[in-house]
Amino acid sequence: MRTVRTFRTAVAVAGALGVLSLTACGAAETGKSNEAGGDKTVKLTVPSWVGAQANVAVAKHILEKELGYKVKTQQMGEVLAWDALSKGDIDGILEDWGHPKEEKQYVETKKTVVKGGDLGVTGHIGWYVPKYFADKHPDVTDWKNLNKYAEEFRTAESGDKGELLEGSPDYVTNDDAIIANLKLNLKTNYAGSEAAQITAIKKYAKEKKPFLTYWWTPQWLNAQVDMVEIKLPEYKEGCDADPKKVACAYPHTPLQKFFNADFAKEGGEAAEFLKNFKWTTEQQNEVALMIAGEKMSPEAAAEKWVKENEATWKAWLPKK
Amino acid sequence: MSATVTTVSKAGTAAGDARTEDSGGLREAVRRRRKLLTGGGVLAALLVLGAVLLGGGGWPAGLTADISGPLDAANDWVVDNRDTHPLFLYFLLHLSNTATDAVDAVYQGLDALGWLGVTVAAVLVAWRAAGLGRRGLRAAVTALGAFAVCGVLGMWDATLLTIALMVVSVAVAALLGALIGLAAGLSDRVDRALRPVLDTMQVMPAFAYLLPFVLVFGTGTPAALFCTVIYAAPPMARLTALGLRGADPAALEASASLGASGLQRLWTARLPLARKQMLLGLNQTIMMALSMVVIAALVGAGGLGEEVYSALSTTDVGKAFTAGLPIVLIAVWLDRTTAAAGNGAGVPAPAGSWLHGGRAWALVAAAVAAAAAVRTATWPEAWTYDISTPVNKAQEWITANLTFTEVWAREFTLWVLNPLRDVLVWLPWWSVLLLVAAVAWLVGNWVSAVTATAAMAAIGVLGVWAKSLDTLSQVLAALVLTLVLGFLAGVLCARAGRLERWVRPLLDAMQTMPQFVYLIPVVALFGATRTSAIVAAVVYALPAVVRITTQGLREVDPAAVEASRSLGASTRQQLFGVQLPLARPALQLAVNQGVVLVLAVVVVGGLVGGGALGYDVIKGLSRGEMGLGMTAGIAIVCLGLVLDRVTQRTSRTPR
Amino acid sequence: MNGDTKETIDIDTKAAGTAGDNGTGDLEPPVFAVRGLWKVFGPRADRVPGSAELAALSPAELRERTGCTAAVRDVGFDVRKGEVFVVMGLSGSGKSTLVRTLTRLIEPTSGSIAIDGEDVLSMDKARLRELRRHRAAMVFQHFGLLPHRTVLDNVAYGLEIQGVGKAQRRAKAAEVVAKVGLAGLEERRPGQLSGGQQQRVGLARALAVDPEVLLFDEPFSALDPLIRRDMQEEVIRLHREEGRTMVFITHDLNEALRLGDRIALMRDGRIVQLGTPEEIVGSPADDYVRDFVRDVPREQVMTVRTAMRPAADATEAESGPAVAPGATVSEAIEAVARSGGPVRVVEDGRCLGVVDHAALLAVVAGVPAQGVAA
Repeated sequence: MRTVRTFRTAVAVAGALGVLSLTACGAAETGKSNEAGGDKTVKLTVPSWVGAQANVAVAKHILEKELGYKVKTQQMGEVLAWDALSKGDIDGILEDWGHPKEEKQYVETKKTVVKGGDLGVTGHIGWYVPKYFADKHPDVTDWKNLNKYAEEFRTAESGDKGELLEGSPDYVTNDDAIIANLKLNLKTNYAGSEAAQITAIKKYAKEKKPFLTYWWTPQWLNAQVDMVEIKLPEYKEGCDADPKKVACAYPHTPLQKFFNADFAKEGGEAAEFLKNFKWTTEQQNEVALMIAGEKMSPEAAAEKWVKENEATWKAWLPKK
Repeated sequence: MSATVTTVSKAGTAAGDARTEDSGGLREAVRRRRKLLTGGGVLAALLVLGAVLLGGGGWPAGLTADISGPLDAANDWVVDNRDTHPLFLYFLLHLSNTATDAVDAVYQGLDALGWLGVTVAAVLVAWRAAGLGRRGLRAAVTALGAFAVCGVLGMWDATLLTIALMVVSVAVAALLGALIGLAAGLSDRVDRALRPVLDTMQVMPAFAYLLPFVLVFGTGTPAALFCTVIYAAPPMARLTALGLRGADPAALEASASLGASGLQRLWTARLPLARKQMLLGLNQTIMMALSMVVIAALVGAGGLGEEVYSALSTTDVGKAFTAGLPIVLIAVWLDRTTAAAGNGAGVPAPAGSWLHGGRAWALVAAAVAAAAAVRTATWPEAWTYDISTPVNKAQEWITANLTFTEVWAREFTLWVLNPLRDVLVWLPWWSVLLLVAAVAWLVGNWVSAVTATAAMAAIGVLGVWAKSLDTLSQVLAALVLTLVLGFLAGVLCARAGRLERWVRPLLDAMQTMPQFVYLIPVVALFGATRTSAIVAAVVYALPAVVRITTQGLREVDPAAVEASRSLGASTRQQLFGVQLPLARPALQLAVNQGVVLVLAVVVVGGLVGGGALGYDVIKGLSRGEMGLGMTAGIAIVCLGLVLDRVTQRTSRTPR
Repeated sequence: MNGDTKETIDIDTKAAGTAGDNGTGDLEPPVFAVRGLWKVFGPRADRVPGSAELAALSPAELRERTGCTAAVRDVGFDVRKGEVFVVMGLSGSGKSTLVRTLTRLIEPTSGSIAIDGEDVLSMDKARLRELRRHRAAMVFQHFGLLPHRTVLDNVAYGLEIQGVGKAQRRAKAAEVVAKVGLAGLEERRPGQLSGGQQQRVGLARALAVDPEVLLFDEPFSALDPLIRRDMQEEVIRLHREEGRTMVFITHDLNEALRLGDRIALMRDGRIVQLGTPEEIVGSPADDYVRDFVRDVPREQVMTVRTAMRPAADATEAESGPAVAPGATVSEAIEAVARSGGPVRVVEDGRCLGVVDHAALLAVVAGVPAQGVAA
């Protein structure tokens, strides 16, 4: 028995020594990242909405076919993407809808992330009802009348309140605060993803049923389902500063690109190309519609667009 | 020496227990009834008292403590300090870099083998582990099929990444588990200290493990790897300890009597005797690791899980199937291979065969090297086939034509889920606590009552009372469905042997699937609703319930059944008068297992519209709101404890 | 084993209590000398042997008072070189505990044990291991074989623990396997053998280390009666061929009588009688022993030495058939029945006495006959 105990002690000591030797050998490298694939690799995050997937698909196609890079993509939540960007796990975010807290933390304080300029697309978030409903009840577009129509928006999930259809949990949203602060008889219901939200909207539209949804432009579906924005109290600079007290509409956001600081400095042609990457809302919608509406794979959609719009993307290539 | 003494004294108490149980059957029943009566009386009195003193409503706001603030602050601190603080520089970062490097190295290694090398390796390992010859052929064919399909579906790279994660996490988890099991197997004190910890870990849903690791390591490979290790190690530890403790005492004594030192005894007797249990532990560890590696996609694990996750978050059923199928096949391959290795333990290799012992492994290595030398890179693109389009077409057809699933889901939500949730939320908070305490006390003992009540109260204090009750309502609805279906199927299987022979392999296969996989078909059928989560939970928990029920009914003393038949009892009378009452312990175990499994899936159901706590975890993860996610995670653990304790028989709780 | 200074303990024959040790002529110390040995299980067990009051309690009372169980109580005996010493008792009498204390597989509570005059209880761990490795090997009731090893490797296990090289230990093991009649089964696993064969492996494992003394803990009680008989004969044969000292634990009286040179009969942890089979059967120490041996076929155990009387005259002393003094009564009955008259008991050509049918009948009936020489 005593031998066993000695053995046990020995194991414990060995384990402790192992950990010590591991830690004693010095400070760890901090900027460690998944360097799978060597130098000519660019890592991009793929946000979950189709518009942003279009950016990445086109950028990836050009980087791989024209500049000889290998592009790795990873889907993750927006906030997580910021953190990964800071750590160097990814090199760039091509479409950001505004994360003031993260921007302050990573760009200004830690300086691990740098701004990458405009994407060229202006985004806007708002509350929308279908046009066929707004035509019948024109006064619904004023938020003050929403409580009057709350009953029309009721569903199994929202109980006795009107439903405000939401998308993916990681989207930028102040809706719960807005509802509370404007004393609206509404309840948010998260579809869980853009795709689920679109499915729900399409179904409502087919049956010409009333609905109220969190929605945004640019969005390819806007070409297929006509929607009208509800006028919330006007957006003023700083009215959304305190997340709990928001009672105003969403701003119009010029969508931004962000890069990892090291990548921006040492990323060579890839970094230069991504900085130059800039297109219009229509161009993005064109690709997004191919992916989501026509069920093409992002690769195929990008290839098609690149073939047809050579003039546009030639300008993004680094000057030799 | 002292080991012998403990064995002797333990054998003595065990014999004593058996004797009291024999004579105490009737007394037990009387005691139970008395407990029921007093319990009911006290409960009624307290309910009246509570109604007068405390009034109704949800958890009082004054009694909550918001922990999300400090947790968010901790998260911010980690982000700000992880490049500078010594704790990170000298410890955690080493861990996380090692983890990343190890996974990378394995991935590169697999990649270098090429598709031919990897497939040959998988097939030969399966063949050798299953005992060569014709016996191993089935495992080998399974391996070949699994890898070929992974390639054909165009999931080759994702599969390799998942396997690389598996290799590293299983190696670490098995080592860790074996060491812990060794300590628990050799020392009674360690065993006593560890048992409640392992018990609790067993009821914790995989989902609840993710957040603490994200808090420390951020998202990415290290967090995924470490939470997989922690999640998968307990079965190895438990079974190693069990094997060491259950080893034939005569053999150990014989070893001691020949003058073996402690270390000699460990190496030559204890460990070899525990080998079969340890291999079983390894099998379970592997299956749990697979389940976790897939779920860990939520924290950036990559691989097949990420494919499923991204497909689920865009409700792209075709893509989810494409990624889900390889997971299923990998699960089957791993399970068959390790289970075959476990069954083969103790059976000699075919004597005289030239493949005896190490030579077979050498052959495996040589063949793999040869295959790798062909230098095939990744799976050739020409050999892939896209199933996502046809699957999506099928799904569209289903949603267009089989509208009854959605109608059913809506009615179920309206008439079952909503009322159930509303009633639970409407119940005064103290009456819920009382109810939990009473049920836990009746089913178990006062220790389980205290644990369950404390856990339930903790949920209230965390400020997620209503959300937890929402989750609870889903769990209850799913549990009732599971039990009704499971007991019915179990009774059928127990009565019709042929049916069981058909169903058994199906159940076995279903039990090895990661929880994630079950979400895919239900999303196709029911859309993103709470009903989907519930259906997935029912399907996931059903195999275990059916199996335990069948086994319990099968093991009912045949003499008792025969006696009742000889008295002219009808089939019905036999079933309800004899078999079900005698199988009660098994049925209770089925309820307990059912509830634990159901909870695990209901919270993952947050991904497909389940809402409530599971949704908070996902939201916390994807938005980096640690406070929100952790709060929900802790509440899930508490809910798990409550559900476990109110369904667990006393015999399993430590006295 | 060699070269060390042995700590010899003072062997006080009188202190041996029930040992009834009467052959103290040998210069060699006994293989095992046990004195005042106690083994008490339970809380603060060591206070029991020291206290005269507690020591005197019955097992039930002791349990009631202290929560302790005394498995071995104040036991003393010697095991002489080359003899088969049997410890017999019903289950719970403490015999299995007793045999384990001999090599401290169970640590005794108090008392002394000496092997070849060397104190066992004061041995350090290394020395104790040496004892177990080379001097005393044990055969167990439930075999205790390692299921993952072949027969040959199981037999070689003791040698492996000693650190003997692979080739050498396998050669030795093969030899012993053949000796116990398992030749040809070397590569089997224990699970593929019958119970009797498994116990032969257990026996071979013990023999392989060539120990000074073999300890048997009810080795055959898990076996079928016929196989048990075979195994007993195997042990008798081995003892005849090698003359190894054996300590044999059994609950089977017939087995004890068949194998034992001397038998210690245990009850509730105490030795109630120690003696040759003939002494136990012929003159039970108390009613318990008498009850125990009642159904024994006495004519097969008792020797004519017990039944003989002095020759009445010279004719009786010089004529008629003769038997040896060690012959059993049943053999004498056969001779008496054949000759029709008394039979002489002759040793080295000298007539010790005669037995007649009356004396023999008295032995069989279990009533005291006149003129019995003890």
